[in-house]
Amino acid sequence: MPYLGSEDVVKELKKAMCNPHIQADRLRYRNVIQRVIRHMTQGLDMSSVFMEMVKASATVDIVQKKLVYLYMCTYAPLKPDLALLAINTLCKDCSDPNPMVRGLALRSMCSLRMPGVQEYIQQPILNGLRDKASYVRRVAVLGCAKMHNLQGDSEVVIWGPWVNELYSLLRGPGSNNCLKGRLEENSEAGRGAVVHPIKHQFAHHLLKTISKLDQWGQGEVLNFLLRYQPRSEEELFDILNLLDSFLKSSSPGVVMGATKLFLILAKNFPHVQKDVLVRVKGPLLAACSSESRELCFAALCHVRQILHSLPGHFSSHYKKFFCSYSEPHYIKLQKVEVLCELVNDENVQQVLEELRGYCTDVSADFAQAAIFAIGGIARTYTDQCVQILTELLGLRQEHITTAVVQTFRDLVWLCPQCTEAVCQALPGCEENIQDSEGKQALIWLLGVHGERIPNAPYVLEDFVENVKSETFSAVKMELLTALLRLFLSRPAECQDMLGRLLYYCIEEEKDMAVRDRGLFYYRLLLAGIDEVKQILGSPKSDPSLGLLEDQAERPVNSWASDFNTLVPVYGKARWATISKLQRTERHGPELPNPASFATSGPLIPEENKERIQELPDSGALTLVPNHQITAECFEKTWLSLKVAHQQVLPWQGAVHPDTLQMALQVVNIQTIAMSRPGAQPWKAYLSAQDDSGCLFLTELLLDREHVEMQVSVKQNEARTETLSSFISVLETVIGTIGDIK
Amino acid sequence: MSASAVFILDVKGKPLISRNYKGDVAMSEIEHFMPLLMQREEEGALAPLLSRGRVHFLWIKHSNLYLVATTLKNANASLVYAFLYKTVEVFSEYFKELEEESIRDNFVIIYELLDELMDFGFPQTTDSKILQEYITQQGNKLETGKSRVPPTVTNAVSWRSEGIKYKKNEVFIDVIESVNLLVNANGSVLLSEIVGTIKLKVFLSGMPELRLGLNDRVLFELTGLSGGKNKSELEDVKFHQCVRLSRFDNDRTISFIPPDGDFELMSYRLSTQVKPLIWIESVIEKFHSRVEIMVKAKGQFKKQSVANGVEISVPVPSDADSPRFKTSVGSAKYMPEKNVVIWNIKSFP
Repeated sequence: MPYLGSEDVVKELKKAMCNPHIQADRLRYRNVIQRVIRHMTQGLDMSSVFMEMVKASATVDIVQKKLVYLYMCTYAPLKPDLALLAINTLCKDCSDPNPMVRGLALRSMCSLRMPGVQEYIQQPILNGLRDKASYVRRVAVLGCAKMHNLQGDSEVVIWGPWVNELYSLLRGPGSNNCLKGRLEENSEAGRGAVVHPIKHQFAHHLLKTISKLDQWGQGEVLNFLLRYQPRSEEELFDILNLLDSFLKSSSPGVVMGATKLFLILAKNFPHVQKDVLVRVKGPLLAACSSESRELCFAALCHVRQILHSLPGHFSSHYKKFFCSYSEPHYIKLQKVEVLCELVNDENVQQVLEELRGYCTDVSADFAQAAIFAIGGIARTYTDQCVQILTELLGLRQEHITTAVVQTFRDLVWLCPQCTEAVCQALPGCEENIQDSEGKQALIWLLGVHGERIPNAPYVLEDFVENVKSETFSAVKMELLTALLRLFLSRPAECQDMLGRLLYYCIEEEKDMAVRDRGLFYYRLLLAGIDEVKQILGSPKSDPSLGLLEDQAERPVNSWASDFNTLVPVYGKARWATISKLQRTERHGPELPNPASFATSGPLIPEENKERIQELPDSGALTLVPNHQITAECFEKTWLSLKVAHQQVLPWQGAVHPDTLQMALQVVNIQTIAMSRPGAQPWKAYLSAQDDSGCLFLTELLLDREHVEMQVSVKQNEARTETLSSFISVLETVIGTIGDIK
Repeated sequence: MSASAVFILDVKGKPLISRNYKGDVAMSEIEHFMPLLMQREEEGALAPLLSRGRVHFLWIKHSNLYLVATTLKNANASLVYAFLYKTVEVFSEYFKELEEESIRDNFVIIYELLDELMDFGFPQTTDSKILQEYITQQGNKLETGKSRVPPTVTNAVSWRSEGIKYKKNEVFIDVIESVNLLVNANGSVLLSEIVGTIKLKVFLSGMPELRLGLNDRVLFELTGLSGGKNKSELEDVKFHQCVRLSRFDNDRTISFIPPDGDFELMSYRLSTQVKPLIWIESVIEKFHSRVEIMVKAKGQFKKQSVANGVEISVPVPSDADSPRFKTSVGSAKYMPEKNVVIWNIKSFP
């Protein structure tokens, strides 16, 4: 932050620090140093007094030392040359008789974070590991981790003896609680290099000592044990028995850690997993009503995660998820979601009663969320919900009415049996709807089910009258379609205003999309009323859609590895976008998987094939049939190119490589390599060439949840037009195959 | 868990103090925190977890301060929150109240504490009793001779230091039970439970081994053996780390080496039907420009008990003005900043 007169401050402090009088007076000296730190805290750049601070580190006053070291750690990356001067003092302090000072110096030295510091800290760390004070040993262990972090993956060689040193430390009689908790970090930092699968003995040693650790240590050890693969079933159950008490620990972090470990270890025993989830019910519920809102939030997110696999798991405790007045928004929203998912025949009455209370909440967002939640429940318990929603319309509140109407629209699509009730409720709503979403929903309902609503033409007429002042073009489009639909069923009442609306849209409207839509309908009408009926008379509901959505019950193993991480807390969808962002930022080359080709397989349905075959002609792009490229050549080209385009496509269910390969073949995209079906993560490498010789190399990556397919395309000649047509071809194929599922 | 850095921000989002533990997240990232928070709040999608680019912000709010941990990893959220709360707890024990003022006044000691609480993103010693042994408020006194590391920092018994001596050995036990009630607008009780904690205050010398037996009824309930008359299951029994859980599982004795001073030995939850101890009925009459609220409080507990310091808050419209009160007992006060009227009754009934 720029400070007025900051340079003066620095100068003054510099002068003060050089003043021998002040240096002689300890208290004054320390005061000056404190001022430096204070300015540093405020964001002032104090790096110019580095020299003076280095001098100040030679003191017996431990607090002053701490301050100076803190200063050094902050500015060392800026002044690496000067920081080297400090290393001498630090090294000297590492052999101080006082263990506090030794620990402090070692810790600071390891945190300097500047290039070239490794060679200086190696020896002190090794000494530290053998120190007689456990405090110093602890610092040294973490020092190893920092050191590893500093040097990256390049110099793993020196690491070998260190690991042995660490192991011996752990087993030694002097091993102490913290050390154990920390070592795993080390191994984690040394990932790839050391201890990948944990050794049997070591895991057991950890298991024996875990109960003596504090909650952080326990959390780390539980996390670390995730990488242990028990040798036999018997051993597995021994471990589970041993760790059983951690499921009921007083720290929510440990409970979650233990749960995750159990779920992962018992991945081949679904009944054990179920049992574990039953056992953590209590602790999780307690965490959900915890005083700390954030912990409560995290717990609620995990409850939702569990409910995805075991719907109704918490049904008998539904009252725990009733919101109380003072809770923050994010907790209330989560609770409403949870309530939605645990509704059953016994509690539906109470839950709906409670949700109805929320619908009139002062916060419009929360009220709307509650209304949508009732809409979700309405798929199963239609009559009660529609009644509640209808009553809500009577309140004549804008935000409530719009949410209710939107819910109705979605509902009649999924549950046609409620159409009658909805149609009776609609008249009068139009007065209380102002926003675009609500208007669209209402107009859609009036258009599709207009023959059952007596005043539908008059409501639409009002909209037509005011179409000039309508700001949302989406509403105008919806109005056009709805009016045309209504015209089919009630021509006499609509003909006149349809004419007026079409005239307006074609002659006066400035939005091109609306104008085009108007022209389109105009021409359609010219073609004859039968054609219009054929095109607009689509089905008015699709109950099967709701069934499909309900079947989304996922196996526990699909999320077990994400349990107790940020994934459930963000929610899957948000996490997907976030991690996508992160992936594009550091996208490294990946080697294609070993191929597993499949030549025979079920043919894709005829109609799909036709659709696909039309595609290559649609753009300027023509892919060469029978284009050949070897796997080696593909790999080489792939590694040498940058990603030209990356995008995520929705996907459902498992992959059938054969079908996909067939479909790609049809549009002249060759499959180079593909993972077996069901592999985690599932990948495929594709290649295609167009008539100008431009190569398109593609990687398909299906995420663990089977909900989206990440597509990365590389191109050997940068041409955006062909790239986009290639991607649209690919998109259609994947979309079609995804739809079959 | 791996937090890259921990920040304490004031209410405007300006960093008061920060500690960079791993150095893999630029410290300037925190400048984006507050705008992000505001933006999400406006969207109505505020959550204790925000992200920008690759950085995740996990935050909690304590009075007027934001405590924020940043991380790049897909960290364990509940552990990070637990750590932030622990940090608040430690600071509060050092400075009584953790607020902007106390942070500015004690920044040296906060740096010292942050240094000990966590290293390289891993929580270290977080027990304030033990921290207080080697990081003291009187740090200003130049004690060069002292400053030894207490062995507890790395002891097997991490919660008690050796060599504690008292002239008079005493233990105090408090059982504190609070009632959680969820009542809907019509006045029917939806959910009731008792949350209890057993708190100990220990002044004992050496490394004492304590045993606590619960009376039979509770024990039966714990084991689920007998069918007493109003048998209710204790749920979520949780013990302090010092309790030997294996002993408890075997013979239901709670045996432990206690930490020194105050601590919470165990907590439990009882889901039973509890009548609201004080039942409130209200009649609200609206006139042209006046609202009359009549509040009736009825005690529903045993005659021989007395409730002390009862506070009943009555929410009123935010534009309320010139309130007038008439109370049969106690006194009422209007708090315009909270839009409530507080009715204080020293002893009830």
